Amino acid sequence: MFEELLAIREAALKQLTGIESADELTELSANVLGRGGKLTAILRTMGKLSAEERAEMGKRANAVKTELAEKFEQRKAQLMELAEQMKIEREAIDVTLPGKRKAVGAGALNPLTLVYREIRDALVGLGFTTFEGPEVEYDEYNFTLLNLPPNHPARDMQDTFYVNDSVLLRTHTSPCEARALKTLDLPFRLVIPGRCFRVDEPDASHSPVFMQMEGLVVDRNVSLADLKGTIDSFVKAVFGENVESRLRPSYFPFTEPSAEVDISCTICGGKGCSSCKGTGWMEIMGCGITNPHEIENCGHSSEEWRAFAWGVGVDRVACLKYGISDIRLIYEGDGRFLSQFK
Amino acid sequence: MKLPLKWLKEYVDFNVTPEDFAERMLLRGFEVAEIIPEMSVDGVFVCEITNIEPHPNADKLRVCTVDVGREENLQIVTNATNVKVGDQVPLALDNAHLTGGLVIHPTKMRGVASAGMFCGNEELGITEVEYPGCENGGVMVFNEKHPNGRRIQEALDMDDCIFDIELTPNRPDCQSVIGICREAAAALGQVFREPEIKRVEGEGDVHDIARVTVENPYLCPRYTARVVTDLNIEPSPLWLQRKLKAVGLRPINNIVDITNLVLVEYGHPMHAFDLACVAENHIVVRNAAEGEIVYTLDGKERVMSADMLLIADPTKGVGVAGVMGGLNSEITGNTKATLFESAVFRPENIRSTARRLHHVTDSAARFIKGVEPVNAELALNRAIELVEELHAGKVMGGMIDVCSADLREKEVAASVSHINEILNTDLPAGKMKELLSSINIPTQAVGDTLKIRVPHFRTDIEDGVETDWDIAEEVGRLYGYTNIAPTLMRGDTFRGRVGQSFKDEDIIKDTMASLGCLELYNYNFISPKELDDLMIPGDDERRKTVKLLNPFGEDQSLMRTELAGGLLRAAALNLNRKTGFGRFFEVGNVHFDNGDLPEERKLLGVIHFGSDEDFFTLKGTLEALFEKLGIERVRFEAGGSAHLHPTQKAVMTVGGEKLGEIGTVHPKVQRAFGVSAPAFIAELDFAALRRHIARVRKYKPLPKYPAVQRDIALIVDESTTAQEVIDVIESAKARVLVENVRVFDVYRPKLPGDKGIPMGRKSMAFTFTLRSDEATLTDEQIGQAVNAILKSLKFRLGAELRA
Repeated sequence: MFEELLAIREAALKQLTGIESADELTELSANVLGRGGKLTAILRTMGKLSAEERAEMGKRANAVKTELAEKFEQRKAQLMELAEQMKIEREAIDVTLPGKRKAVGAGALNPLTLVYREIRDALVGLGFTTFEGPEVEYDEYNFTLLNLPPNHPARDMQDTFYVNDSVLLRTHTSPCEARALKTLDLPFRLVIPGRCFRVDEPDASHSPVFMQMEGLVVDRNVSLADLKGTIDSFVKAVFGENVESRLRPSYFPFTEPSAEVDISCTICGGKGCSSCKGTGWMEIMGCGITNPHEIENCGHSSEEWRAFAWGVGVDRVACLKYGISDIRLIYEGDGRFLSQFK
Repeated sequence: MKLPLKWLKEYVDFNVTPEDFAERMLLRGFEVAEIIPEMSVDGVFVCEITNIEPHPNADKLRVCTVDVGREENLQIVTNATNVKVGDQVPLALDNAHLTGGLVIHPTKMRGVASAGMFCGNEELGITEVEYPGCENGGVMVFNEKHPNGRRIQEALDMDDCIFDIELTPNRPDCQSVIGICREAAAALGQVFREPEIKRVEGEGDVHDIARVTVENPYLCPRYTARVVTDLNIEPSPLWLQRKLKAVGLRPINNIVDITNLVLVEYGHPMHAFDLACVAENHIVVRNAAEGEIVYTLDGKERVMSADMLLIADPTKGVGVAGVMGGLNSEITGNTKATLFESAVFRPENIRSTARRLHHVTDSAARFIKGVEPVNAELALNRAIELVEELHAGKVMGGMIDVCSADLREKEVAASVSHINEILNTDLPAGKMKELLSSINIPTQAVGDTLKIRVPHFRTDIEDGVETDWDIAEEVGRLYGYTNIAPTLMRGDTFRGRVGQSFKDEDIIKDTMASLGCLELYNYNFISPKELDDLMIPGDDERRKTVKLLNPFGEDQSLMRTELAGGLLRAAALNLNRKTGFGRFFEVGNVHFDNGDLPEERKLLGVIHFGSDEDFFTLKGTLEALFEKLGIERVRFEAGGSAHLHPTQKAVMTVGGEKLGEIGTVHPKVQRAFGVSAPAFIAELDFAALRRHIARVRKYKPLPKYPAVQRDIALIVDESTTAQEVIDVIESAKARVLVENVRVFDVYRPKLPGDKGIPMGRKSMAFTFTLRSDEATLTDEQIGQAVNAILKSLKFRLGAELRA
């Protein structure tokens, strides 16, 4: 009986080498391993054997069965690969033939792009020019030059993705302030958009990747009053003429005095509602007079030059403006969401 | 920072509403995040039981008549057994809110109406600390007389609120009741009644029995200590327990509670050691030995390293400096003498120790924010004062003080005119002085100069470059930013402009949208698997990824080097959700590691997918983009990356420069990303694209003489591309202008001899125009031109004119 088993095995392996299609393989597999197959037939006759022989025979038969099944499987994968290769060859196209222009519906820009442009254009009208810097940045530019030396407690305010000890993913667009101060001729007014990164688990109001826009004015005699006036024009241009803004004291290491900017609630108009927790105001960004250390660190005299700056979250403004309740939608890529902003 | 209104009232007269106070604090830089009622229950009143009857249908219930100060008495069914006629008890009426979200409504109990429910301490959320005797297992009964109908909050004297105040990192001094009350007093326009700490002395001299050695004065600039003997460890008095509970701390025993109270009052963390457990009564502040082990109060083993600061005695560690005390020297019921530690540790050292031990305690958090050496002594003496007040033990005379810190007050000078320039205000020196004095910053005005004695607690005010800005910030904040009139910027005017690269990006994005594409913003983080799924070879540039040290997880650990993965994920999402959208694009940066700052490259990625898209619809989209940008003669040559279909991909070039790649997504890649329909991707280098944008467009004179159009059908080898034919037609010596060459038909024989085309060859039909700038072409010229073209095609490509 063992001989029979071996013969079946030999025959099956020999046949396998000649097989060139999936159909043939299926047939072979059925003939050998299937319900009415040769191997199955042999196993059926095992009843005649003694208990010991039966055990030994069963073991061997199973080994053959497993081996053949594996080989068939391998061959099947090979054949499929071959078929795919052949299909790929058959599908060859002449890539130089002209493209087809389809009549399609209007596409749409991401709300971040729309809001970024709106803010940018409002500021260009006030004499600002665009500027940009790298997303992966030196620690020195992101923190140290901005008056945040290593171990400064305020570094805990921003959880940072690090690449190594001295390179990180920028946590704000402010490193571009240092780049501008070091490379451009003073005075200037800049608007600096860009992606920023913080170790924030994504939820409805947080995203580890977000877009910020920095405004930076460097001149000889700018003041907190100028900052207030500029912020107010900016707020009115972006949110509407009837939206009020106010500054209230806060703290950022890169500015002094520092302030948070509140705008009158865009939902209730300032009367107080659930969106503004009844206060009538919504916090939208931080700003301040640039810390003199930053001016000095970047090689200028803080007695000669004063500056002010702010950084606004484009995502946050987009959410407010369009009533988007979950920031993750912006980055998720669902066409039903993206197609709404035309 | 939690500030109970009751506590504030001890030091400051409070004459406004809590909401008004919150607004005033907000406008001074202290945001009140929440006003929390002292007691969270609502709708509970004092009532008096005037009559009790048995319940007609239940043995365990009783029917009470109560007077709750209304015209009509109410009927309440209760199962309480501890109440009797004449008792005053708390009654929850209709819509009362109790602890744990329980809401009460009138009901019937076994057929008898009940207007509300009597409350026990648990429903009210109070313990023996708030009202002794309330934990009686049944309904709470008042010990003293109240008018019926009085609100429970008034009856328990728990009608105040707690302000949860957010602090900015520059004001560590306000991490304390004393500090925040100083600001609150100024905000309220009231006097701050700063408590005076009575310096308690005692018998003997602490130096005779205890000793402190600071081996690393840099990491520990000041260490003060006092000793109390004959301790009487017991629970603290109720007033102290109440105070701790109000700010969320758990009362433990009088000594520990004292250190906690001082932490809340003065913001300075202290520790109390059982002196009997400190060998030789000798505290040694030293760096730990590498691998030295300390068991902290929470029972955990802490393995120290050599840069961590240890509080030790000559034989062993007794605490991790600034983080947590040691289990071996904990105050217990048997402690007879204690040494109070009040020290200053270097914030950055405590920060790194606490982080590495994964244990940022309240105490460590304070040290990280910064504490100062004068306050250390104040806190210590306050603790000793409390020991005396609580009769907790016998205070020993003297204070151990190992100090290398400078305790002198800083004197700084600020310029009045400069401050007015920064703020654009016109405040006289006297006004500035008045504002600064309101928060206890003593100031003298001498001409244009403010001479300021910086109080010890204002560590944020610098003597140097920043001084004028520091003082401007204080003056501005106290004067009120809202009182500064906004102005528009003066000085030079500026011509604002949008930079060219920003403009180019606008045009490219607008064009993509006009071609039916939706704009994606994908995260920059990808998994290593994504590159495998895209079959990117090991030596490919796209494997030179920037790795994050602290990613959310392995699957978001790399900065992307391609946009294809994100585009495919968007395709999978939209197909799975059946959104019906099949065209997307993204403009985004990719990063390549190069040892220093990574190389940053901007890419345009485009994807089309679905059954009505193919390679050529995507090519059509790109051709439309090139046309809009004025980029002419983009060549498509077979080839490209492994994630694209081997026989349906092309590299795009202009004038020899590579713009990018286009192709059908490889079936294996399509499967790996779970994209259920055919997908087509292009990635283009943004900078290369920009270099070929037609910046200057010049008018070309219109043709003076008419052009003629000719169509030709050719039989060529299967391998001949349309581009090869076009190149030959354009370069043939036709002696006239050959323009607008286009292929318009391709036909492959289905059977041998089909339409006279041999197998292995195909028919391609082209159209082009012929004209001249000098004259209208004659038939002869046209014939010669076409012949020259056909000859060239025959010679160079073996192309036959199809009959």
